[in-house]
Amino acid sequence: MAIQVPGKRYGARLARSHFFSGHHSSAKKSTSADLLITPLVDMFVIIVLFLIANFSATGEILNMTKDVQLPSASHIKELELAPVVMISATDVIMNGVAVARVSDLSREDYLSIPALEERLREEKKQTEELHIAAADGQAFTGDVNIQGHKEIPFKVLKRVMFSCQNAGYGNLNFAVLDSGSRPDGTKTAER
Amino acid sequence: MAGGMDLGTGGKGGKKALDATINLVPFIDLMAVTISFLIMTAVWTQIGRLQVSSAGGDSDPNQDKDDKLPQITLLLAEKEIKISVGSAQLGDAIPNTRDEKGQLQLAKVQELLKKIREQIPDQTALTVQTEDDVRYEDLVRVIDEAIGDGLTAVSVSPVAS
Repeated sequence: MAIQVPGKRYGARLARSHFFSGHHSSAKKSTSADLLITPLVDMFVIIVLFLIANFSATGEILNMTKDVQLPSASHIKELELAPVVMISATDVIMNGVAVARVSDLSREDYLSIPALEERLREEKKQTEELHIAAADGQAFTGDVNIQGHKEIPFKVLKRVMFSCQNAGYGNLNFAVLDSGSRPDGTKTAER
Repeated sequence: MAGGMDLGTGGKGGKKALDATINLVPFIDLMAVTISFLIMTAVWTQIGRLQVSSAGGDSDPNQDKDDKLPQITLLLAEKEIKISVGSAQLGDAIPNTRDEKGQLQLAKVQELLKKIREQIPDQTALTVQTEDDVRYEDLVRVIDEAIGDGLTAVSVSPVAS
């Protein structure tokens, strides 16, 4: 009897079988698969270009929250770094600290919000001191960003505006979402 | 020549292959790092600003120049809009209409502002007098429309009681 290679041995009938005899498949199938690099590189290039096109060098000046839904506008300018007064449906917040409640502001008749004014004055003083220390010759511009919820009534907004004005912040900037196009469909770019 | 390039067939060295294999691995690595960086630093919401001033504020440098021109005033109430030039009201009050999304429709206001701009092209200031009940979104829509029509120096004030 001849010496056989170790392994499975089928009976005489199965040895004649096409399936069990091992002739049905290519025994040495390559285990390595070619990876198509060209579409992968194409995809990477497209993603990089898209992300660079949408890249914002100014970063996130405003802290977006669920409570504040900004109105949208098309004739906008680029947002600049300035103190942010946030008006949500419930609170007026200056640099992350609640300074007044909207329900109280709606009830009262006088215009000023003392806590907000105080914080803005402190901010102004700090900014002026920084400019003096840096000796950069830049004057205080009086810019303030107002990040208001779109549903707030003007009664609340006017009190915030008045307080900003009293504290020396006369350039009010309403933060809005860029709607990109005008209601008549024409595209605008006023930056 | 192939593709306009000199294949360098002359010279002593015989036929030397000019094809170079570009190593794609560092290129893909660079792409992956760039994509990760850009995704992490991306700002997905495009936010801008509408510059306004409080009426009576001293922030507008064109105020002295504009004093000689008739002042344009837009009265924004909850139900209607009135536009006046100087002391004369222009046309009738425009009732506020909204689209299906609840946005204020300002086609008639836009028309009137364009007419005013044609008559007084040097005037770029507009005072928006706003009633207490007006929503912030409506005020922003009006300011946006005014800026779009060339009235860039917008000041906001409450309605004088």
